[in-house]
Amino acid sequence: MPKPKLNTDFTIGLVGLMAGSLILFVWIPLDVDTGLIEKVRSQVVIGDAMAPSLAASILIIGSLLMILQSFRNREETDLSRHSLKFLVMLLVLLGLSMAVMRWAGPFSAHLFNADYRSLRDTVPWKYIGYFLGGIIIVFSLISMMEHRMRWRTLIISILVVVVLIIIYDLPFENLQLPPNGDV
Amino acid sequence: MDAVGYVWAGVLAVFQGPALFDIFGISISITLVMVFCGLLTGIVVGATPGLAGPMAMAISLPILISVFGYHESALLPVLGFLIGVMKGATVGGAVPAILFNTPGTPDAYLTTFDGYPMTQKGQSGKALRVAHFSSVSGDTVSDLILFTCAPFLAILVEAYLDFPEKAALIILSLSFIAAVVGKSVAKGLLAMALGMLAAYIGTGEDFYPRLTGGTEVLSSGFSMTAVILGVLIIGEVFKSMEDLRLTHGSSKVKAINPHDDNRLHWAEIRKLLPYIRNSALIGTLIGALPGIGTTLAATLGYATGKKLYERRKSDEDPAFGEGVPQGVAATEAANSAVSGANLIPVLSLGIPGNAAAVFLILAADSIGGFNPGPSVFNFSTDGVNPELVVAFGLFTMMVFANFLNWTVGGVFMRSMGIMGLLMLARAVIVVATEGRIIDTGFLGHIDHPNFFEAVAVTLGWGPFWPPF
Repeated sequence: MPKPKLNTDFTIGLVGLMAGSLILFVWIPLDVDTGLIEKVRSQVVIGDAMAPSLAASILIIGSLLMILQSFRNREETDLSRHSLKFLVMLLVLLGLSMAVMRWAGPFSAHLFNADYRSLRDTVPWKYIGYFLGGIIIVFSLISMMEHRMRWRTLIISILVVVVLIIIYDLPFENLQLPPNGDV
Repeated sequence: MDAVGYVWAGVLAVFQGPALFDIFGISISITLVMVFCGLLTGIVVGATPGLAGPMAMAISLPILISVFGYHESALLPVLGFLIGVMKGATVGGAVPAILFNTPGTPDAYLTTFDGYPMTQKGQSGKALRVAHFSSVSGDTVSDLILFTCAPFLAILVEAYLDFPEKAALIILSLSFIAAVVGKSVAKGLLAMALGMLAAYIGTGEDFYPRLTGGTEVLSSGFSMTAVILGVLIIGEVFKSMEDLRLTHGSSKVKAINPHDDNRLHWAEIRKLLPYIRNSALIGTLIGALPGIGTTLAATLGYATGKKLYERRKSDEDPAFGEGVPQGVAATEAANSAVSGANLIPVLSLGIPGNAAAVFLILAADSIGGFNPGPSVFNFSTDGVNPELVVAFGLFTMMVFANFLNWTVGGVFMRSMGIMGLLMLARAVIVVATEGRIIDTGFLGHIDHPNFFEAVAVTLGWGPFWPPF
C-alpha cells in the first residue's frame, strides 16, 4: 500500500481525532457531574454528559472520514504552511496591539503617579489605549498586506482610529471605549 | 384580535411609529427612515468589493442598540435597518461584478461571467439595469412566498410537532448543514461537532455547569455574539487579508465607458422573464432550507438558465459567458430570491438560514421582546400577541424595502458606477479593508461589559470560518 502524504486533510483529521478522543474519554468524564443517562426517582432521564458525548463522537467520526478521504485524495490542498504562518503572524500582531490597548493608559497614568481607574472617563486618558492600540492594529496589518511600511499608511491608520472614536465615543455618553470597561 | 387585525397592527406599527420629522404635515416614522438608510448602506456595502451585508450588520448593530436602547420600541427601527442592509447588499453586489469583474459579494461571482463581458461590449448600463430588475424581481417573489408560507408552516409546526419531532427537525437541519458546508461531508461534520461542543460549554441541567474546567470564564458559556462575529466576520476578514497579502494589497481595475444602447426595453424584459421566474423559484427553495448559502442558488440558477438559453437560442446568438443579459438575470434573480426565503426557517422553526438571518436573530435577542420561532404566530384572540405584531411589522418593512428597491434602489445602484467608483475602487478596497480590521470583529463588542474576553473568543473562533 502506498504511504499517504501528510496533506492538510490528514492533519486536520488527526488533530480532530485526538481532540475528539480527549474530549470524550478525559474531559467529559472529569468535568461533567452526571452521566449519559441518570435515574431520578426510578425514572430514566438524559444526563448532562449525553449531548457533549454525542458531539465528541461526531467529531471523531468526521475526523476518521477526513483521514480516509486523505488516502483517496492525495493532492496537496490549499491550507499551506504559508497560511498557517500568516495566521500565527496575524494573531501575534493582534495580541500585541490588544496588549498595548489594554495597558498603555494605566502605564501612562502610572508615569504621572495617578490612578487610571479614576481617570478612565476623562480626556485624554480615556483615548490613550484605544488610540495607540488601534493605530498599531491598522498600521501593522496594512503594512503586512503591502509588504512595506509607509508614512501614508501611518496617516491612514491615525485617520481611521480618529473616525472610529468620533463614531463610537462622541455621540454616546454611556458607552466606554476599550479598555476602559475592563480596567 | 383577529388575523386581519394583527396584519393591520403590524402595518400601523411601521407607518405610525414614533415620528422623526414631518413633511407637509405628514409624519414620517423613524422605522421607515431606518429602512431607507439601511437600504442605501446595503447598496454601498454590497458595491464595495471586500465588504458584505453581514459585515455592515455586525458594525451597525452595537451602534443601533446604543442609539435606540434595549426597549421593545427599538425592535422595528433596528430590524428595519438590518433588513434594508440585507436587501441593499444583494442588489449592490452586482455593481463591481459587472463593472470591474470583481464580485462585491461572494454570491455575485457568477454575475461576472456575463456582466463583465457586457461591460466590455460597452453595455454596462444595460447590464446594471438587468441585474437590478432581476434582483428585485427575485427578491419580491421570495418575499411573497415568505409572507404566505411562514405563518402556515409555523402554525402547522406548533399544532402537530412535539419535542421528539422538533428534535428530529433540528437533527435534519444539522445533517443538511453538515452535507452542504465546505467541499466535503467530513469537514461539515467537524464544523457541526465543534459548533455543538461550543454550545454545550457552561450549560446543562445539573447544578454544576458542564465542561467549564472549574473556571469562572467558561461557567456562563461562550457569548453568542462573540462566536458569531468570530466565525462569520473575523474568519472572512482573515481570508481576504491573506488574499490581499498575496497580491501585495493591490487590485487592478480597468475603466470601460458605455457606448451602446444602455436602456432596458420591454421586449428585452419579456425575454428575461422565464429566466427570472426559474431562478426566483430555485433561490426561494434553496433559501427556505436552513444552512445553504446564496452561492449554491446562484450556481443552480445560472446552470438552469444556461440550459434554457441553449434550447432557445439561434446559431448566431452569443453563448452564456459571452455577455448575455439572460446570464446576469439568471444569477441575480436566484441569489436575491434567497434573502426573503431565508426567513422561512427562522420564523417557522427558529433556525437561521444564513448569516444575515443570524444577525436579525441576534438583534432580536439583544433587544428582547421578540423571539423568532414558531411560537410567534400565536393568533391569540383573547388579548394582543405583541410578537405577532412585530412579525407583521417585519413583513411590512420588507415590502417597503422592496418598494424602495424598485424605485430609488436602481438609480442609486447605477450611480454607484457613475460616481467615479471605477477610479476610486483601489482606494476603497484598501480603506475598507483597514476599516474592517478593527471595526467588524472587535467593535462589534464595544458595548460588551468585558471587551477583551469577548475579543479573545472572537479571535479564537475566527479560524473556524468554513472556507478558511
